[in-house]
Amino acid sequence: MAAVHLSGINKRFGETHVIRGVDIDIEDGMFCVLVGPSGCGKSTLLRMVAGLEAIDEGEISIGGTVVNDRPPKQRDIAMVFQNYALYPHMTVRENMSFALDLAKRPKAEIEKQVKRAADILGLVPYLDRYPRQLSGGQRQRVAMGRAIVRDPQVFLFDEPLSNLDAKLRVQMRTEIRELHQRLRTTSIYVTHDQTEAMTMADRIVVLKDGVVEQSGGPLELYSRPANTFVAGFIGSPSMNFMPGIARASGGTMQVDLGRGASLPLPAGSRADDGQAVLYGVRPEHFQLGASGLAVEVVVVEPTGADTQLYCRFDGHDVVAAIRDCAECRSGDRIVLAPDSRRAHLFDAASGLRLIA
Amino acid sequence: MNAGRFRTSQILLFVALAAFTAAMLTPVVWALMTSVKQPIDAFAIPPKIVFEPTFEFHRQVWLEKGFGRFLLNSAVISLATVVVSVSIGTMAAYALSRMSGKAVGGIMLALLSLRMFPHMLLAIPFFILAKYLNLIDTYPAMVLALVAINQPFTIWMMHSFFVDVPKEIDEAAAIDGAGEWQTFFRVVLPIVRPGLWVTALFSLLLAYNEFLFALVLTGPHTKTLPVAIAEYGGEDLNYWSLSAAAAIAIMIPIVLFMMALQKHLVRGLALGAVK
Repeated sequence: MAAVHLSGINKRFGETHVIRGVDIDIEDGMFCVLVGPSGCGKSTLLRMVAGLEAIDEGEISIGGTVVNDRPPKQRDIAMVFQNYALYPHMTVRENMSFALDLAKRPKAEIEKQVKRAADILGLVPYLDRYPRQLSGGQRQRVAMGRAIVRDPQVFLFDEPLSNLDAKLRVQMRTEIRELHQRLRTTSIYVTHDQTEAMTMADRIVVLKDGVVEQSGGPLELYSRPANTFVAGFIGSPSMNFMPGIARASGGTMQVDLGRGASLPLPAGSRADDGQAVLYGVRPEHFQLGASGLAVEVVVVEPTGADTQLYCRFDGHDVVAAIRDCAECRSGDRIVLAPDSRRAHLFDAASGLRLIA
Repeated sequence: MNAGRFRTSQILLFVALAAFTAAMLTPVVWALMTSVKQPIDAFAIPPKIVFEPTFEFHRQVWLEKGFGRFLLNSAVISLATVVVSVSIGTMAAYALSRMSGKAVGGIMLALLSLRMFPHMLLAIPFFILAKYLNLIDTYPAMVLALVAINQPFTIWMMHSFFVDVPKEIDEAAAIDGAGEWQTFFRVVLPIVRPGLWVTALFSLLLAYNEFLFALVLTGPHTKTLPVAIAEYGGEDLNYWSLSAAAAIAIMIPIVLFMMALQKHLVRGLALGAVK
C-alpha cells in the first residue's frame, strides 16, 4: 500500500493540451475516483500513473518514490482495463498467475496467491476455463483477480464496469467496494458515471478539460459544489440553475428570478446588489408550497420512491423530485418552494460558488 | 416466408459452390486420369472414360526421373523461405501494428508496391546479383529471391491479424511485468497463431510453386519440382502422361501438409476475452 501524489502534471498530444497542471494527493489506502465527461483527461491521467503514457511536465510519486521514468513493471501497480484485456489463449489460472510467473516466484507461492484471489472473487470453479467461456461479469472478476494476485501498492481501474449491463454493474460496484474494504489497497478508479463515483469513492476528483474542478468527499461535492460544472455533474437528476439578479430589498438580499418570483439568498452565500447570479436547487430539494416558483407541469414521472416533475418556469426547464405526489398531472400549475438552506448560489459570469 | 427465402438462398449458394468446386477439380481429375492412361488413350478425342489403367508413368516419375532429389530441393527452399520470410514478416508486422502516424501507411504502401513489379522484371537483376555473388545453383540464391518477393505478403497478412489484437493486451502484459520480447512471444504471438499458420501455408505455396526464378537461379544441384516437370518427357510421346503423373506427385506433399494443418487453418481467432 502507498500514497500517490500527482503534482503539476501536464500532458500534450500534439497541439492539444489534455492535462493542465493537475495536482492530486491520494492518501494510503484511499479509494479515489476520477470522474468527468469523456475527453476530460481522466483516463490519460490514470495511464500516466500506470506508466503507459509519458509525463510531459510534473511529478508522479507512488509510496514516496518518483516514478516518472520507471516502466509500468517497476511501479508495483495493477490495472483493470475497460475491455478486461484478458489473455485469450490462457486459462483463468494462467491469466492470474502470468505476472507472478514472469517475476519467477516459486510455484507454491504462485499457487497460493491464485487460490487466495480465486477464493475472494468466487472464481475457483472457473480456473481451468478460457476467457471466451466466461460471462462478462466473470471476465471482469478475472481481470480483478489478475490484479489482486500481484498484491500491488496501488490498484488502477479504467472504467471497469462500463461493458456490463445495468444490474451487473450495480452488483460489481458493491463487490469492488467490498474488496477495497477488505484489502485496503490504495485505488484509483476512473469513470464517467457520477453514481459510481458517489457510491464508491472516499474522495472524488472532478475533471473537466484536463483541469481539476473540485476534489473532496462525495457528500462535500454534493452539498458544497465549487462551481456550476461540479454542481451539475454530481447528483441525479442534475441540479436546476435559474438565472436571476441579486437585489437588496428591505435590508436583506433577494434573488429576483423574474416573473415576480423572488427568493431569499441560499444559506451561507452572498451577492452584491445587481449581480447576475445562478440560483441552484437540486430536484430533491424542492417542496410543494404556497410561495416560491409558479411553474407549469410538463411531464410527470413516478419512480415509486418519488415523483419527478418536469416543469417550465419563465422559459427554463425545472426538474423537481417530490415525495408522495400522485396528484399532479401534466398541464397543472403548481408552486415549487426551494429549501433555501440547501440551495446554492453561483456567479452567472464565472460559474463559481458565491460564499458568504 | 423468411425461412423459405433462406432455404432458397442456401440452395443457390450450394449450387454455386458445387459448380465452383467442380470447375476447380476438373483439371486435377483430368491430370489424375491422364497420368494412368497409355499415351494413345491420353490423346484420344473424345476423351476415353473407360480404359485400362497403368501406373508406369508414376513409377517412372518417382524412380527414374530423380523426383526425390527435386522434391528435396523444393522442400529445402520452400521451408527455408517460409521460416525466414514469416519470421521477419511477423516481427515487422507487429512493430507496424503498434506504431501510429502517417509513416506506417507509407511503409505499408511501399511494401505493397514491391509486389506490383512483374517477376520478369526482377528475374534478370536477381540472376546478375546471384552470378556476381557466386550463388547460382545454390539454395541461398533461391531463398533470398523468394523471401524478397514474399516479404510484403507476410507483413500485410500478419499485420491484419496483429491490428485485431487490442493494444490493451500489450499494456496489460507490460503492467504484469513482461518486457517487449516477452509480450511478443508469450502473449501476442500465441493469440495470432492461427493467422501465423495461414501466412506460413500461403508462403509455402508461393515458394513451392515458383517457376520463373527457379528456372533462372537453379541448376543441376538445386533444380526444383516446377522446373523439373517442365522438362519431363518433352521429347517423346509419353509427354502428357508423364507430366500428368509428375503434376500429381508434386501435389501430394502439399495436400498432406494442408491436411495436417487443417485444424489450425480452420480455427478462427480466439479473441473471446475482448469485447
